[in-house]
Amino acid sequence: MAGALALQARGLRKAYRGVVAVESLDLEVEPGTVLGFLGPNGAGKTTVIRMLSTVLRPDAGWFAVAGVPQDQPVEIRRRVGVLPESAGYPPGQTGEEWVSFHAELFGRPRDDARATARRLLAEVGLAERGGSLISGYSRGMRQRLGIARALINDPQVVFLDEPTLGLDPMGQLQVLELMTGIAREHGVTIVLSTHLLAEVEQACDRVLILHRGRVVAQGTVAEVARRAAAPRRGLVKVPPQLRIRALEVLAASEAVAAAGAGDHPGELVLTMPGGAAPDNAASLALRRLLEADVPVLGFALEGGRLSDAFLTVTEDR
Amino acid sequence: MAAVGDRPVGVGRRAWMVVAERELRDLWLAGRGLPLLLAYSVLLSVTSYLVAANQALNFLEQREAVSLTLQVAVAVGALLVLLGAADSVSGERERGTLESLLLSPAPRRALIIGKGVAALSLWAAAWAVSVPYVWYLARGVGVVGVAVASGLIVGSLLALFLAGYGLLISTILSSNRLSLSVSLFALLALYAPTQMPTAVQNSWIGELLLRVDPFTAGLRYLGRLIINGHSPGQDAGWLIGPIVAAVVAASLALAAANRLTLHGGDQG
Repeated sequence: MAGALALQARGLRKAYRGVVAVESLDLEVEPGTVLGFLGPNGAGKTTVIRMLSTVLRPDAGWFAVAGVPQDQPVEIRRRVGVLPESAGYPPGQTGEEWVSFHAELFGRPRDDARATARRLLAEVGLAERGGSLISGYSRGMRQRLGIARALINDPQVVFLDEPTLGLDPMGQLQVLELMTGIAREHGVTIVLSTHLLAEVEQACDRVLILHRGRVVAQGTVAEVARRAAAPRRGLVKVPPQLRIRALEVLAASEAVAAAGAGDHPGELVLTMPGGAAPDNAASLALRRLLEADVPVLGFALEGGRLSDAFLTVTEDR
Repeated sequence: MAAVGDRPVGVGRRAWMVVAERELRDLWLAGRGLPLLLAYSVLLSVTSYLVAANQALNFLEQREAVSLTLQVAVAVGALLVLLGAADSVSGERERGTLESLLLSPAPRRALIIGKGVAALSLWAAAWAVSVPYVWYLARGVGVVGVAVASGLIVGSLLALFLAGYGLLISTILSSNRLSLSVSLFALLALYAPTQMPTAVQNSWIGELLLRVDPFTAGLRYLGRLIINGHSPGQDAGWLIGPIVAAVVAASLALAAANRLTLHGGDQG
């Protein structure tokens, strides 16, 4: 299965008692990719992950994971690691016992399972607490424990469903660094489902946005941001005494509409009309100002970030 | 690569053994196995005391005292299995630990067998506790051997039946509370035929009902062996109900295991 796509899906569909959770999902992910899997609550992210990890059966469609088709679920489970959303942990077991138990379920002999558990716990920063009962673990430690369990089979694809949910900013950062470090070190494909767009911009190569069970945008982070949320506004800073002059110059331009920015006497708001290439329109407007001897002290385009794209594609259509 | 259903990979232990060991540890070291066994011991002590006292006052024949204690030991011991089995899968669902189990390549059937073994261990422990009571009461009338052997056979059949039934219900239902409620309701329904008027019990439909119901059939069999002094083979027909029920319930539980999956609203 060398050279196979890490993930491939065609027309996946899943409904719960008539309510469609995922509809016509098509997906292709290259090996080694860190995919940001975005969508509002109820968009179907967890359902997709559960289908691809074979714990839920799709109603329709086809998929393959690491080149293994869906009709071989056991083989798929040997190749994937999953950190489920809101996973439960047995409070009466130690972290090492729990990871070791799961390693044995993957067929490792008992001694090997224990050694693997210790190695992975060290890798996720729980070496010191491996022998403690899980009931004493913080939320962040439990997430690390879950990540260790997700790696016990040296997976080719790792699904992380909201790995930073409920963590404080420091905990989020630590889990994110841990995850990207593992991705680099092990060369695995990672699917990161999250609401934290900054995480995705920071850690992911590609992004897929799901809304009401359908894919509404996918590509590299830059592509999605550019395509879905092209900037339509810009802020120009000029000397306050030349503000009127600047407005007159820009009024003659068809590419943009300009207006004063409220309480800020040296600032102008440029609005690029829909359909126009925003970069070109802004460049043209700035050139006009410079040609009219109006110094441009600063310029920034608004929008164009992943968060803008997310809001654009997930607002009710 | 190893065949599916046995050892997931390489030379590790069989998956059902791994699950059974984990479940046994959880049940007996950190769970409710010991409290349940303690409650069972108290119940058996009270029962033995009462029947011994009644026997001393000549209200009960000694054989009746043995039979009554044996029936309580078997029925309540089997009930413990139901309590353990009914919680096994639905409890994992509620605690959010089922998904992690389902993500392993271990066959679903192995997960259910491992949990079933742990539930059946409650019966094994209960029976071990009840043997001294039975011996004490039965030693004067020479039925110690038959009481212990028949109690073990009938109790094991009922325990297997209730383990299969509890696992089946637990696999199907999402809520632990619902699973326990349905299981206990069914158990009460199984005891109901014992409350029928004697005339109805002696009619052909009454006897059919008593024979089909694994509980009444098993307990009747014990009564006939101990009180009436029948040979084990003489009333073997009464064991058909418990045997069929045990086989059917265990088979259905294993069949349902193959369809074990997450439900829509299940947490991680």
